[in-house]
Amino acid sequence: MKQFDFVDVTLRDAHQCLWSTRMTTAMMTPILEEIDRVGYAVINILGGAVFDVCVRYLHEDPYARVKLLCSRFSTPCDALTRGQSLYTFELFPDDIVALNAQVLAKLGIKVFTVYDALNDNRNLESSIKAGREAGMQINGWMTYTLSPVHTDDYYVERAKELVKLGVDFMCIKDPTGLLTPERGRTLFPAVVKAAGTIPVQLHSHCQSGLAPKVYEVAMQSGFTHGYTASEPLANGASLPATEEISERAQRLGFKTSLDKEALKEVADYFRWLCVREGKPCGEVARYDPALYEHQIPGGMISNLRYQLETMKLSHRLPEILEEVPRVRRDLGYPIVVSPFAQYVVTQATLNVVQGERYKTVPDEIRKYAAGYYGRLAAQPSDEFLNKLDLKPGEIVTERPGEHIEPWIPRLRKELGPVSDEDLLLAAFYDKALLEPLKKPGPEYRFRTTPLHELVAWLGARRDIEYAQIRFAGTEMTFSV
Amino acid sequence: MPDRDLTYEDLLQIVELVKSASHFSEFRLKVGDIEVSMRRADAAPRPASIQTQRSIEAPRGPEEAAGAPPEAGEVPREFPPGAFLVRAPMVGTFYRAPAPDKPPFVEVGQAVEPDTTLCIIEVMKLMNSIAAGTAGKVLEIVVENGEAVEYGEVLMVIEPGKR
Repeated sequence: MKQFDFVDVTLRDAHQCLWSTRMTTAMMTPILEEIDRVGYAVINILGGAVFDVCVRYLHEDPYARVKLLCSRFSTPCDALTRGQSLYTFELFPDDIVALNAQVLAKLGIKVFTVYDALNDNRNLESSIKAGREAGMQINGWMTYTLSPVHTDDYYVERAKELVKLGVDFMCIKDPTGLLTPERGRTLFPAVVKAAGTIPVQLHSHCQSGLAPKVYEVAMQSGFTHGYTASEPLANGASLPATEEISERAQRLGFKTSLDKEALKEVADYFRWLCVREGKPCGEVARYDPALYEHQIPGGMISNLRYQLETMKLSHRLPEILEEVPRVRRDLGYPIVVSPFAQYVVTQATLNVVQGERYKTVPDEIRKYAAGYYGRLAAQPSDEFLNKLDLKPGEIVTERPGEHIEPWIPRLRKELGPVSDEDLLLAAFYDKALLEPLKKPGPEYRFRTTPLHELVAWLGARRDIEYAQIRFAGTEMTFSV
Repeated sequence: MPDRDLTYEDLLQIVELVKSASHFSEFRLKVGDIEVSMRRADAAPRPASIQTQRSIEAPRGPEEAAGAPPEAGEVPREFPPGAFLVRAPMVGTFYRAPAPDKPPFVEVGQAVEPDTTLCIIEVMKLMNSIAAGTAGKVLEIVVENGEAVEYGEVLMVIEPGKR
């Protein structure tokens, strides 16, 4: 009997999509033991947004989180980076990319996942080399999108490049849930064939509502792993529920290694956490054909709504969504995924607000068009290029990492004796942003019970002056 | 009902009920072997009344007595006739320098060309270099570094010069 395995994204992509990445380490620690018992093949704990939100908004040291989670899990932990861009929107020199891989391996990461938002696999070379040297398994992603140039052949070519790069796993990542069962039936077998003996995984979101069925097609096509989330944090803009995909796998005759009881304990905790934190649980999305036009990924839609709200532009959302496909075509079909999702959406917003296309083009989009971040999937439109008026000196054709000088010698000199983690954080962020990370974090609890949660919840309510709880021979009274 | 631990289902149910009964001062719940009772503080919460008292006692600040000057933004600014106004292309954040540790792009009095970068407006995390758009001299930098700007807000004033 063939086995289908699971990679958990509850601590990473699930809350990235549903909670704007705002899950703190303290929210995770009480349930780590149960997650570890579920029987996942791998647990994904880090990605670009998680790293960035940790620093900017949660004021947590992301490396400290990685270290803590790795130390509590016996299941192998996975960290995802954006290749040469690591966690941010910029490109970094090869020496920073290499040091980051060494640090992650030292902190306990076993599987190192890399992707490039342009699918320019030259941008994975430095990460793969450093990751392997540091002793981690390498997982290479290719990002799925819809466009006239992103054909099955296009992905077969990318898969062959990943084989040449010597990855241990490869994965089709569908950040917006654009895959359909029909497309899967041609694309998946073609990629499995190109991958040869390398296991192929599927990472797809539920915005279109089709993902669970797409996962079935992936299993039937020979994929070995699927990325899923605990049920309360699955669906909607997130990934499919582990519970549902494992049932589907079993119905199709696959063996799974999941502990149903542990899965339920995990789901119970996260369902409560949604209520306690006033955050949404994932809901099964209804099929939305407009998604196939604007293609905006899960994390992005909630962010865009929020950004437009702060700019008092909420009423222009429909126009902006309509402008997105046009901008995307003009820009040569970038994949609507970080950071290019932000580029396309921001450019569409500028076009709509200014009432004129490409009157203002952000510097990053200019660099993108010049090849600074890597090869474009297709030639940009003349309208866009004419407005840009790129100078010959701006155009980049070599591997993007090559035109960046090493940073470590300069940083070592500037910072003096600091840990590798602190050196990397200083490479990514301004001093002021790192200051709040130095204060000691909260005491983490590694266990909780519903009763404990009830007491804490009541205690946090300022309006209650007296409470008594009685059950099964226990009695507790609280009063102010 | 047998002895058992409180479950997350119980917890969710209790919390849901407590929330929906938030306008009552007393709450008593008995489901199976679980009993929860609680009492809320008085309708007029004490901390609020303390605050009221304090605000009465507090002496009025000199700025209040003198009458606060109107907010700078309330009166539309007037600029010299013929001046070239560089405006924000979008709602965003204004930066005078390419990076926090770098000198500003331009200073008041400096001569600029149409393609001279004057400042950066950060829009939705992306940086937009703003060019002068005309040759001339920087007459005034209206916005402070790091300040939020509105769409169309005047960022800098250029005195157009002869080319």
